Amino acid sequence: MKKFLRSGNPYIWLTAGTLTACLLMISGLVVLIMINGFGIFWPHKIVQFTLQDGTVLLGEIAKREPIPHQKDAYRTKVKVGNRDVYGMDFRWIDDAEVVSQTYPVHALAFERREWGNLYGFLQGLRQGDGVKPLEKEAMASLLRESHALYKKIRNIEKKDIGNINYRMEKIRLELKHLTLLQLSEKTRKRAAALNARMAHLEKIYREKEDTLARFYEKAREKEVVVLLADGREKMVPVFQIIRTSMPNEMGAFAKVRFYVAKSWEFIWGEPREANTEGGVFPAIFGTVMMVLIMSIAVVPLGVLTAVYLKEYAGDSFISRLVRISVSNLAGVPSIVFGIFGLGFFIYFFGGGIDKLFFSESLPSPTYGTGGILWAALTLSLLTVPVVVVATEEGLSSVPKALREGSYALGATKIETLWKVVIPQATPGILTGTILAMARAAGEVAPLMITGVVKLAPSLPIDSHFPYIHLERKFMHLGFHIYDVGFQSPNVEAAIPMVYTTTLVLLFTVLTLNLTAIIVRNKLKKWYSTRAM
Amino acid sequence: MKSLKQRNFTDTAARWVIKLGGAATVFVILALFVFIFLEVYPLLQSATVTKEDTYSVHGPVMSVGENDRQEVAYVLYNNGTVEFISLHSGATLKRYQVAIPTNSVITSVDKDRNRLVLGTSDGKIFTISITFSESFEGDRRTVIPEVSDECWTPLDNQKGGIHGVTSRGDDSTTVTAVYTTDNHVVLIASEIEKTLLGDGDKKEIQKDITGLFMKQSLNQPPLPILHPSQKENTDERAEGVPETVQAADNPSGILTEEKSATEITSLTLDLFMENLYAGTSSGELFHINVSDRENPFLVETVKVSESAVTALGFLLGDVSLVVGDASGGVHVWMQVRDTMSSSGWALKKVHTLASHGAPVVKIDASQRDKGFVTAATDGTIHLNHATSEQTLLKLTSAAQASTLSFSPKANGIMIADAKEHLLQWHITNPHPETTLKTLFGRVWYEGYEKPEYVWQSTGGTDDFEPKLSLTPLIFGTIKGTIYALIIAVPIGIFAALYTSQFLHNSLKIIKPVIEIMAALPSVILGFLAGLWLAPLMERIFPAIIIMPFFILLSIVLAIFCWKTLPVFGKGWYRHGIEAIFLIPFIVGAIYISIRLGGGYEALFLEGDYREWLSHFLGLQYDQRNALVVGIAMGFAVIPLIFTISEDAMSNVPNSLKSASLALGATPWQTAVRVVLPTASPGIFSAVMIGFGRAVGETMIVLMATGNTPIMDWNLFTGFRALSANIAVEIPEAPHGGTLYRVLFLASLLLFVTTFIVNTVAETVRQRMKLRYSKL
Repeated sequence: MKKFLRSGNPYIWLTAGTLTACLLMISGLVVLIMINGFGIFWPHKIVQFTLQDGTVLLGEIAKREPIPHQKDAYRTKVKVGNRDVYGMDFRWIDDAEVVSQTYPVHALAFERREWGNLYGFLQGLRQGDGVKPLEKEAMASLLRESHALYKKIRNIEKKDIGNINYRMEKIRLELKHLTLLQLSEKTRKRAAALNARMAHLEKIYREKEDTLARFYEKAREKEVVVLLADGREKMVPVFQIIRTSMPNEMGAFAKVRFYVAKSWEFIWGEPREANTEGGVFPAIFGTVMMVLIMSIAVVPLGVLTAVYLKEYAGDSFISRLVRISVSNLAGVPSIVFGIFGLGFFIYFFGGGIDKLFFSESLPSPTYGTGGILWAALTLSLLTVPVVVVATEEGLSSVPKALREGSYALGATKIETLWKVVIPQATPGILTGTILAMARAAGEVAPLMITGVVKLAPSLPIDSHFPYIHLERKFMHLGFHIYDVGFQSPNVEAAIPMVYTTTLVLLFTVLTLNLTAIIVRNKLKKWYSTRAM
Repeated sequence: MKSLKQRNFTDTAARWVIKLGGAATVFVILALFVFIFLEVYPLLQSATVTKEDTYSVHGPVMSVGENDRQEVAYVLYNNGTVEFISLHSGATLKRYQVAIPTNSVITSVDKDRNRLVLGTSDGKIFTISITFSESFEGDRRTVIPEVSDECWTPLDNQKGGIHGVTSRGDDSTTVTAVYTTDNHVVLIASEIEKTLLGDGDKKEIQKDITGLFMKQSLNQPPLPILHPSQKENTDERAEGVPETVQAADNPSGILTEEKSATEITSLTLDLFMENLYAGTSSGELFHINVSDRENPFLVETVKVSESAVTALGFLLGDVSLVVGDASGGVHVWMQVRDTMSSSGWALKKVHTLASHGAPVVKIDASQRDKGFVTAATDGTIHLNHATSEQTLLKLTSAAQASTLSFSPKANGIMIADAKEHLLQWHITNPHPETTLKTLFGRVWYEGYEKPEYVWQSTGGTDDFEPKLSLTPLIFGTIKGTIYALIIAVPIGIFAALYTSQFLHNSLKIIKPVIEIMAALPSVILGFLAGLWLAPLMERIFPAIIIMPFFILLSIVLAIFCWKTLPVFGKGWYRHGIEAIFLIPFIVGAIYISIRLGGGYEALFLEGDYREWLSHFLGLQYDQRNALVVGIAMGFAVIPLIFTISEDAMSNVPNSLKSASLALGATPWQTAVRVVLPTASPGIFSAVMIGFGRAVGETMIVLMATGNTPIMDWNLFTGFRALSANIAVEIPEAPHGGTLYRVLFLASLLLFVTTFIVNTVAETVRQRMKLRYSKL
C-alpha cells in the first residue's frame, strides 16, 4: 500500500477524477436540457384527483417530490390550469390528501389564446340562445373555421392597418418636414396634397376598423360549454381555442402528431401570453439576422488583421501591439463592449445620424436608440479575435511552395495573396466566421443594452421600403431565456418554455461549433489534395 | 493586361490598406478606452460659471429669487416693495407694495417654497406668496409674476421688533417661530380646521418659548426638569403632562434657571413642522420639538461651534441641518440613531465643508439635490455639496451678501449685496455628488448610523440622496470571482494535467468536447444556475456537504476494484482510461450522498440545516448564493483554464519528460516535478485569463445571485457584481447623467482590470513560447 502511494498512482486517479467531473458536468447539462426541453410538448395524461375534503381536481402532473422533513411522504404539483377560474396554474397536493386518482377518458385539454390551458369535459356548443351537444369530430371543423377567422383578423390588424399606419406616419413626417422649410407656393401645394392623401387613408382606416369589428362580433358568436372538475360550467368562446386534445385516449400515433404540431408551432409561431406560450420565431429570426449582419462586419476586419499579422508585420513593435489588442478584445468583458456600443454607436453615432437625416421625427429617435445594426456592430468588435485566430491558422497552413511559385511567376505580393494564399486559407476564414457566429448567437449581456427587447412589434424585415430596417429593435433567443425565466410575471408556468428555448439555443451554438470543426477538417483535406 | 506601374501601385495601395486594417484592432481598443474615459471624466469636474450678470437695485434688499428658467427675478426691499426684474433686459416688469406700517421696516425674511414670511421692526409678521405662472400665445411664452395671499399677524404682548423668523406650512397648518429684539422666542401656530362645508375655521396659538432657552449648565447630573413654560402663558399649560415624562423626553438634562439667557442668533424649522432648531451666540444649538404646539419641549442642546452660530438652514428633505458659524465654519448635522440618548436619537456632525474666512451669514439649499450655497460677511460665496463634502465653486462679490438665492433648478446663484447690486451667476454643476470619496469610500448618508459603503442609485422620493459607492459592487465582483476560481482552478489544471500526461491516445476526443463546453452561452449557465441548481441545492444542501467525501471514497473504491479484480489493468482496461472508469463510481457517489443527505441532516445538522448554519456558524442561507454562482461561473471558466494549460503542458518538450523517466522518476513525479514547473507560465496565464473571464461575466451573476449589494464573505449569500449592475441599471440611466457616468466608470474599472490581466497573460505566454522554442 505504501509503495502504491509512493508511486503516485492515487494522485493520478484524483486528477482523473477532476476530468471525470468535467465530463459529468457537461454531459449532465446537455442531458438535463434535452430531457426538459424535449419533454414539454409530449402530451401528458390528464389526471382527476379526488381529495379527502371532497374537492375534485383535473390537471396534468408537473412534479412529484418528497415532502421535506417528513419520512416517506410525497406531494404532487398539479398543473390545474384554468387560471381565469382558479387564479393560479399550479397546486400542490400531499399524497395523504388524495382519495382517488383516475384518468377520465373524455377529459379535454383546451389550449387558449389567453389565460393558459383549460381542463374539463366537453358539454356542448352554445350558439345564439340554445345549447346543443357537440361531438368532438365537429369540434375540429369548428376550430378550423375559427382559425381561418383569426387569420383574417390578424391579416387586417397586422398587414392592412399596419400598412396604413406606416403610410400615415410617413405623410405626417413629411408634413412636419415641410413646416421646417420656407413657406412657398410649392410647399403649400405639397402640403395640401399630403393632407388629402391623409384624409383618404383615414377613410380606409375606418373601413378596415369596421370590418374588424364585424369579425370580432362573429368571433364571439359561438361558445363551447365546458364542465369543469368541480362541477361548474364554463363558457369558452371557440375563437379563444387554439387546439383541443384528449391525451388520455390518444394512441402513440396521435401523440406523435400532437408533439410534432406543438414543436412546429414553437419554431414558427409567435409568442403568446407574455412570451410564456406559443413560439419563438421572432427570436430565432432576430438572432439569425443579427448574426448575419455581424458577420458581414466582422469578416473583413478580422481577415485584414490576420493577413497583416501573418503576411506583412513580421515581429515588430506594432505587430506585438496588434497581438495584444487582439487578445484583449477577446478578454474584455462583453458588458464593456455593450456599454461602449451604447455610448458610441447609439448615442454618439446614431444620435448624429438622427440629427442629420431624421430631424423631422426628433425628439423620438430613429437610429439614436438601440437597434439590430448597433447590436450587430457591437458584437462584431467582440468576435474579431475569433476570426483573426482562425484566419491566421488558415494562412499558416498554406504551403510555402505555393507562394514562392507565385512570386517566381512574377506576381506581386497582393496578387499572390489575393489569388493564391487567401483562397487556400478560405477554410480558416470560414471556420472563424462560423465560430464568431456561434459566439454572437450566445452572447446576451451587450445586446441587453444595445437593442434587444422582450417583444418586438415587427420583424426587422418586412414589405415596407427599404425592406430591411436596421434601426429596429429585435428579439433574441438568449435574451428570451433571461426575460421569460427571470422577468416574466408567471415564472413557474414559463419554465418549460425556457428549457425549450435553451434547447434551441444550445442546439444552434453546438451545431455551429461542430460545423466549424468539420469545415476546418474537410476543407483542409480538400484543398491540400487540390493544391498538390 | 495592366501595366507594371499599375500593378505596383495596386501592391503598394494594398499594403497600406492591410496595414491600416491590421492596426484597426489597436484603434478599437484605444477607442474603447478613450471613449469610456471621456464619459467618465466629467464626474470629477467641479462646477463652472457660464455667465455672470449684474443688475442694480436701490435700497437694502431682504430677499431675492427667480423663476425656474431664470428669466424673471423678484427683489424684496426692506420697505416692503417687491420688484420684478427681467433678467434679459434688466427692466422692472412689475411692482408691488406689502402693506407694512410706514414707520417700520422688514427685518427678517424666511422662504418656504413660494411663500415668504416677513418679520418687521414693529413686531408684525407678514406672509406673501410669489408665483411665476406662464402663458402661451402661439409659440411665445410669457412669464407672469404675481404676489398674492398677503396676510399678517401681530405678535401678542408686544416685545419689540422681530429679529429673525422661520416658518413652514402646508395647506392647513402653518407654524412660525420668531425671535425678537428683546430676546424672546415666540411660536405661532395656525391651523385651518376644514368643516364639511369647506370653509375653514382658523385657530391660532401664540406661545412664548423663551424659557426653553435658559442657559443650562451641562456639568450637573440629570435632575427632574422644570417645566419649560413656567413663566408665560400659564393658562395654556398642559396639565396632562407629568414632569417625569418630560424628563424622559429631555436627554441633555437640565434647565437650571440662571438669569443670563443666551442670545439667539438664528432659527430654523423643518418642513414636518416638528423640529425647531435655534443657534446661539455661544455656539450652542437647541433642538426643540414643537409637534405639540401647546407644549413644545427641549429635546437636546448640542455645542456645535466654538464661536457663535450665525446661520442655519435645512438641506432638501429637511433632514440634514447646515450650521454656519462666526469663524466661517460650515458643517452639516443630522439626527442619528443613538442608543445612548434617551430619545434614541442624537444630533451629530456628519459633514464638514470648506470654511469661509468670515462669519457665515446666509444659507440656501438646492431644491434638486443635497447641494447648498453659503455666503459670508467678506463677500465670499461657496457652492457646496453635503454628501460629497466638496466645495464646487467659490465666488466673490464686492460686498457682503444681504440675501442669497439658489435657483429652483440648481443652475444659478443670485445675491443682493450691500452695495445695491443684484448679482446673478449661471452655473453648470452636472455631477456634484461624485468625488473619489463618495465613489469608493465610506460616506455618512442621511438616515445611517455611521459612514458606510452603500450602492443605492435610485430612490422613491425627490429628496433621495443617491448612494453611489462602487465598493460593494467591486466587493461582489471579487467575491464571485474568488469562489469561481476556487472551484475552477484545481479542476481545470488537474484535468488538463491528466489529459496531457496520462490520458490514453484513443480518448483524446475528450479535449474538443471540453472546448465545446467553452462555447456554451453563459445565459444558459445562468438560467440553469438560477432556476435549476439554486432550488435544487436549497433542497439537498446537506447532500452537497457530504458529496466531496463520498466522491473521494468512490475513487478509493475504484482504485481498489482496479487493483484486485484480475481483469482490470489488462486489455481494454489499461492505464489512461481512469477517467472513464471512474464515471459509474462518481455517479454512484453522487446518488448515495443525495440519498443519505436527509439522514445526515437529521443526525448532524439538527434536522434543519438553515437553523444549524445560523445557530452554529451565524450564517444566513439565501437560495441564490455565491456557491451557486461559483459553480456556474466555474463551469464557464474551467474550459478556458483547461484548454490553455493543457496546451502548455502538452507542449513541454518530450526530451525533458524522457530524461526524468529515465532517471527513475515515476510518471506522477515527472508530471509534478517536471511538467508542471515547465508549463507554469502557461498555467499562470490560463488562470489569469480565467480570472478575466470571471470578473466580467455578466449573465451568470445577474441570474444566479440575488443582486443585493451587501458586503460579506458568506458563501451562502448573494452579492451584486459590477457587470450585473451595469446590465441592470444602464437602461434606466438618463444619457449624460451622474448614474450613467458612474456606470461607465464601473465598466472602465472592468476594462482596465481585464486589460492588465490579459496583457500580462499574453506577454507571459509569448515569453513561454520563446523559451520552449529554445529548449
